[in-house]
Amino acid sequence: MALQGVEQTILRDPALFYWIVFPITVVMILTGILRHYATVLMNNPPKPASTLAESRERLGLIRGVNLRNNSSVLSKESFEMRKNYLVSAYQSGAFLKDPASRGQPPANPMTDPAGMEAMMGMMKGNMMMMIPQTLIMSWINAFFSGFVILKLPFPLTIRFKSMLQSGVMTRDLDVRWVSSLSWYFLNLFGLQSVFGFILGSDNAANHMASQMASMNPAAGINPFQPGQDPDKLYQSEAENLEVIEHFCILDGVEERVLAHYAGRKSY
Amino acid sequence: MQTTPEPHLANGSNLITTFHLAQKAPLILKRQSSSVETVASSPVRGIENYGVVEQLLFSCLQSGDDKSALLCTEQLAARFGMTDERIIGLRGMYEEAVAENPTRLEECLQTYDLALSENPVNLPVLKRRIALLRSLSRPVDAISSLINLLDAVPTDAEAWCELADLYHSQGMSSQAAFCLEEALLIVPNSWNIHAFLGEILYSGACASETTDCSQLLEVSIHHFSRSIELCTDYLRGFYGLVSVGPLIFYLDWC
Repeated sequence: MALQGVEQTILRDPALFYWIVFPITVVMILTGILRHYATVLMNNPPKPASTLAESRERLGLIRGVNLRNNSSVLSKESFEMRKNYLVSAYQSGAFLKDPASRGQPPANPMTDPAGMEAMMGMMKGNMMMMIPQTLIMSWINAFFSGFVILKLPFPLTIRFKSMLQSGVMTRDLDVRWVSSLSWYFLNLFGLQSVFGFILGSDNAANHMASQMASMNPAAGINPFQPGQDPDKLYQSEAENLEVIEHFCILDGVEERVLAHYAGRKSY
Repeated sequence: MQTTPEPHLANGSNLITTFHLAQKAPLILKRQSSSVETVASSPVRGIENYGVVEQLLFSCLQSGDDKSALLCTEQLAARFGMTDERIIGLRGMYEEAVAENPTRLEECLQTYDLALSENPVNLPVLKRRIALLRSLSRPVDAISSLINLLDAVPTDAEAWCELADLYHSQGMSSQAAFCLEEALLIVPNSWNIHAFLGEILYSGACASETTDCSQLLEVSIHHFSRSIELCTDYLRGFYGLVSVGPLIFYLDWC
């Protein structure tokens, strides 16, 4: 073990800083920016519903959710009426795109073109993360493995050793020394705020997409994930609606308003 | 859909403001077209500008400045393409505004039908078509196509309000009240819809001779009060209370 109370000193070439720490940081930032723009480029907005029936299937569910969340604006009778209508419609599958296929297992997302597209979107996103990481990781392993490049100005416990000194197989080295591979990992997880600073904010790139979505409200929203059975969601939403406890916000609203004005001395 | 009590459409209600805005149209349009190159380089600012152009188009149409309106649609079409859903809707609105006689309006209707046969969920065009049916004074057709639209898109508060307005114009106040309740489910805190619902119930109560009159008035008072609670200086709610209050007192007294 390292001697207690004695400062470990390692003679380092100051050029290490310029040739390892600096390049790794710069490369990480640049790849982050590149990945961001590549994601923007490859990202295609979710497809709006192509038929009225499809839009009905999607938004029928949202209607139930709205009723559940905002039921307090309705009086008792109108709430009960809507609840009964929606529950029976959900249970009989009235909102489904084609009621004939109800109860059958969902189509394989691999054969369904719409599901395939959504899966491709997800895969593209994953690939955008995976490929640059693999490349840079191997680049660092090939060129910079085994370098000790930094010394932290504060002491740390021994548990941090695996985090800060990956790639350097010495048991006795003080935890305060940081290896190049660990510097890569620290950058990988710690640069989020830097990207937020450089790229405006995380949503700045998606500004266009959100603008296009707001042009056409409620058409682009799809509550269903690919491969999900709408009928199952409808059944569970029907159950949610049935157990909801209704209260009416209009009860006693006059008293509240009067109390509000009575409380003001200036009137 | 000018009569819809939507907050973002409220700025169109003041004709003087609209007129003043429309007066600035040539200036803004000139600046816009001269800065097309810079707009292309900064997409965020460009988006804001196109929002301005769209608002300007509405103001120009309202104040009768058709020339600037045409320029607006051209700029928008140059940016987003002629096939964009919303551009088709805006162009249709312009065509309707410059149409001189009912036959031209019928032609507009046919254009809309053609666009809808290509893409049946073209929401802007669907809405324009309904508005056109309404202005051709065919409210029954407008109501039935609006019901079809709402069957497919039940989460559109604007459309529910429009349907309520149509029903109200036909004297069917209970249906109108139902539509406004649906709209309230989507935007529960909009005081203008609360007040509008109060008005519809009030006029329904005035029209009906049956016994549920006082009950309707009571609900109407609830809604007016709620609108005041949500927006403490919403005068329309106060006016509503002032109109309903004496009536309900009178009914109780009888």
